[in-house]
Amino acid sequence: MSELITPLNEKAEGVKASRKREGRRRLIWRNIDTYLLLTPGLLLLLLFKYVPVYGVVIAFQEYNIFDGISGSEWVGLAQFRKLTHSAEFMQVFANTLLISVYKIVLLFPIPIVIALLLNEIRFTAFKRTVQTIIYMPHFLSWVIISGLFMTILSPSDGLVNSVIQWFGGEPVKFFMDNSVFRSVVVFTAGWKEIGWNAIIFIAALAGIEQEQYEAASIDGASRLRQMWHISLPGILPTIILMLILRLGIVLDAGTEQILTMYNPTVYESGDVIGTFVYRTGLGKMDYSFSTAVGLFNSVVGFILVVSGNWFSRKVLKRGIW
Amino acid sequence: MPIHKRTFSDWTLDIFVYGFMIALGLVTLLPMVHVFSKSVSSDWALVSGRVNLLPVGFQIDTLVNVVTSGAFSRAFLISAIVTTVGTLLSILVTAITAYPLSKRHLPGISFLMVLFVFTMLFNGGLIPNYLLIRELHLINSLWSLILPAMISVFNMLVIKSYYEGLPEALEESARIDGARSYTILFRIILPLSMPVLATIALFYAVGFWNDYFSPMLYISDPALKTLQLHLRDVVMENDTANAINRSADDLMNMSPESIRAATVVASTVPILLVYPFLQKYFIKGVLIGSVKG
Amino acid sequence: MMKKMKWVALPAAVSLMLLSACGSNGENKNSGAEKTAGENSATAKSTQSAQATKESAKPELKALMRLGPNFEKDPIAAMLQEKTGYKVNYEALPVDKPEDKLNLLIASSEPYDIVSTGGDSSSKAIYADYAKKGALVDLTPLIEQYGQNIKASLSAETLEMAKVDGKIYAIPTRSIESVGTSLMIRKDWLDKVGMQVPTTLDELTAVLKAFKEKDPGGNGAKNIPMAIKGDVPMVDNIVGAFGIVNDWNDVNGQLVPRAMNPAFKEYLAFMSDLYKQGLLDQEFAINKDATVKEKFTNGKVGVIVLHWADIPQIDDALKKNFPDAEYVYVPALAGKDGQAGLAQSSGFDRITFVPKSSKHPEDAIKWIDAKLNPDTFKNMAIGLEGTHHTFKDGNYYPILPIFNDERGSASNYLTGIDEKNYPIYWQARVRKDERLYKGWEALNKQQKPEVFKKNPLGLAPYLPKYSKEDAQLGQMVNDYAVKVIVGGEQLTGFDAFTEKYKQAGGQTSFDEINAWYATVHK
Repeated sequence: MSELITPLNEKAEGVKASRKREGRRRLIWRNIDTYLLLTPGLLLLLLFKYVPVYGVVIAFQEYNIFDGISGSEWVGLAQFRKLTHSAEFMQVFANTLLISVYKIVLLFPIPIVIALLLNEIRFTAFKRTVQTIIYMPHFLSWVIISGLFMTILSPSDGLVNSVIQWFGGEPVKFFMDNSVFRSVVVFTAGWKEIGWNAIIFIAALAGIEQEQYEAASIDGASRLRQMWHISLPGILPTIILMLILRLGIVLDAGTEQILTMYNPTVYESGDVIGTFVYRTGLGKMDYSFSTAVGLFNSVVGFILVVSGNWFSRKVLKRGIW
Repeated sequence: MPIHKRTFSDWTLDIFVYGFMIALGLVTLLPMVHVFSKSVSSDWALVSGRVNLLPVGFQIDTLVNVVTSGAFSRAFLISAIVTTVGTLLSILVTAITAYPLSKRHLPGISFLMVLFVFTMLFNGGLIPNYLLIRELHLINSLWSLILPAMISVFNMLVIKSYYEGLPEALEESARIDGARSYTILFRIILPLSMPVLATIALFYAVGFWNDYFSPMLYISDPALKTLQLHLRDVVMENDTANAINRSADDLMNMSPESIRAATVVASTVPILLVYPFLQKYFIKGVLIGSVKG
Repeated sequence: MMKKMKWVALPAAVSLMLLSACGSNGENKNSGAEKTAGENSATAKSTQSAQATKESAKPELKALMRLGPNFEKDPIAAMLQEKTGYKVNYEALPVDKPEDKLNLLIASSEPYDIVSTGGDSSSKAIYADYAKKGALVDLTPLIEQYGQNIKASLSAETLEMAKVDGKIYAIPTRSIESVGTSLMIRKDWLDKVGMQVPTTLDELTAVLKAFKEKDPGGNGAKNIPMAIKGDVPMVDNIVGAFGIVNDWNDVNGQLVPRAMNPAFKEYLAFMSDLYKQGLLDQEFAINKDATVKEKFTNGKVGVIVLHWADIPQIDDALKKNFPDAEYVYVPALAGKDGQAGLAQSSGFDRITFVPKSSKHPEDAIKWIDAKLNPDTFKNMAIGLEGTHHTFKDGNYYPILPIFNDERGSASNYLTGIDEKNYPIYWQARVRKDERLYKGWEALNKQQKPEVFKKNPLGLAPYLPKYSKEDAQLGQMVNDYAVKVIVGGEQLTGFDAFTEKYKQAGGQTSFDEINAWYATVHK
């Protein structure tokens, strides 16, 4: 795969080297029109993303909304300790990582496969219909989807358990059994999002130059080989981008989803940071604690994104920046 | 595309692909059918959970009443305005911003990239955002729903990554002809980027349509309620999960299950229709060929 | 080329539009602010002159209500405007997590004149917090001056409970004291197994056993004697037989939470035994409200917990599926010492206050007072006699459908009630459906009065520690109960759980509550 992108990169590298001689300032001046195009985006970014970012300091306070940031008491890292020192933290942290890693390993590749397979369909009407259908579950709320799956997976009269019993198996209490609950979480998340997540790869495939396929076709390459040697490398940058960005939200294992699905019998396997914080913060309006937890997630996410990007640049010779 | 003799491997691939897609389509479609059937079923059938695939006690009145009610149609209009204006402006700004950032060789671009990516992970939280919107006098203005969401770094990165994949030769020749950046961007890059722009249009449109949090915070005027606010109120009001805090009066006033199901469907269908409409831009190769030719 | 140019021109035009829109928006707001400032001093002047002439132009008021689907076209709003002379712009908080938004609005001094919130312990905590932070107008002198109807309608006790540091900052709406939920049993199932409606715990167990063994519903393996919701493992009526009707119950003159009460252990033992014997829905932990109703109306369940307000909905579905089905409320079940109890709501239904940022606090109170004028209040609650209701033998009966159309959402407008008359007016609301009335009657009129157990904390003053921890501790107790009942946790660990509960804030709440309780129950 990587052989196919290196030449492009070498070219970029070459351009870079030649430009270097001109000196930074001249280079900037020569491209000033390009830089100017950044103005609207940068202004919006500074105003709506960077101006409010001072709010993270309340993670180090005992914030009261009436006293404001200047009037609230500073407590250092006490809010973070409240999270990491609670008895359940290790369990909750482990659950979060497990569910997240399962979701990445099992669910991240599926949309890519779907996009590649859809790309092989020449019958346009069929292709569009399938695309439209599989992206629909994304628009249902978790409350509805959980309700749906609780019916389908019900031990007494659910469809799946009827099939299991018909084959002579014991009914499985999918939502009350710690050994299968995580699988249910991962599967339902996949059901909801794979079609939606495939869109981005479908679009990336549409950007691949048609000539490449034609040339390969003339050379007698089978479609499977074309898929492997043209399609996949063609969307590799998008895949890398998505994967690195996915790392950034690794500590959000799907709080909203799990809140609608879990119950006390599966806390052991399904309780994640988000749900744990939700339960212990019930009725408290604790802005500082929730900000601290958010900041903890952000820092971990940022470290992962930065290292993911570094790793990708080292090994695959390209990254987000 | 030249026609070749289909090989055995091509045939197996086709069988596999079509089979897989039909199976996947069914697995996702059947539950959707279930949800739609609920919106046209009778209340008693919903309460006793009798609706599986087909509607039970078919009736369309609830759906019609929901759609024609003043509150729904006004909220629908507001959401449609925000989604349309928001999506157009957002794509424009995002597509422009992504262009300079795709020029990796320019000094400072890496730094700017980190600046952008940083905001994907760190945010100030609810209170500073509210105060900012308030300072800008945007409370109870639809701009409060559009402006802060106009530059999504995720979407920008997707576009940027697409730009980087475009053949550089096209741009080089235009530059030699003395074209400025914005000309290159609008006349060469953007027309070539229709698949990704269509994708991002979809993402933005869905984002604006489904946004609950911003209108919840920034909109208090009942005349400016968006569809998601309306939907959440209808669904939550009927949620007996928090019935403990409800008086008997509130409980008696709860609207029937069928209204809930109908509201969900009536507010989801419009956005579902965006994708099929945008799909024509996903046809590959057409645009590149036309520009080159 | 032209085509391309159009694409360039469009965004330019749009961004121009955007800029001008922003600009004009800002200007509007500024001039608006100036105008209101001007208006303010004008109203101040006019209030002075009004006090001299006893007549003033009434300003428009801005009200933030708790619930309210559509205030704009509501006939009640129109009627109130006519009777009180105030035009009120109603807004409503979101139904989902209203506190988030309320906090922002109050802390950033949005100029609302009237704000209504819920009346539960966390709303009381929010209210008291606002009052202590100086965000609310002290209503004590205003009530004295303008609140003749308020004083006549609300009892001294109610106003006393609304006090924070000796001052009244809110007009509370007392809730109607009534029993809402109990066990509902299939009467036709009882007949089939030849048994009577149970009156004791032991009889209940016997009935459930009969339901399991004789399968009167003909459900085979899917037969469920009793089903409850997963998030409410404290089953109304059954908890009464163990003397733990409410979250906190009087034990020898002290208020003790369930988690610190040995009776709770017995309750859990009883429930887990039901579960083990297969008398309780084996999947109850994942049951939502709708699931329980589904199972009941599909004829799979013999006993469920039900609020009487849900009866018409259940009845429609059940009768459609099983025309011969009959159901009846189980009376308060007697436990081992004959103790029994049904939870009776008490306390505040909602709280209405005036933020400091209000531009017309006097008018806000005048409006609330005018709404409590006996005629206006009655009109708001149940409409006009002959048009919306009829009056017979001391009772009010609704005229349908106009009663529902024009007075159906009356409860959304309540800002304090006529505490003597509203409980009687209100029954007209229950009588809008015969089935509702029967259910309400069964729980509230046909039970021995001594089984009604009011929540002792409903009328407690603001207790900061308890209010802060209440929701979280409640969740912890529920979670533990579910785990014990399904056998995921053994009851031998009960003492350890009590200890954990105390550590998590239970002990400080206990001390705080009982310090107050000692002053009222000497």
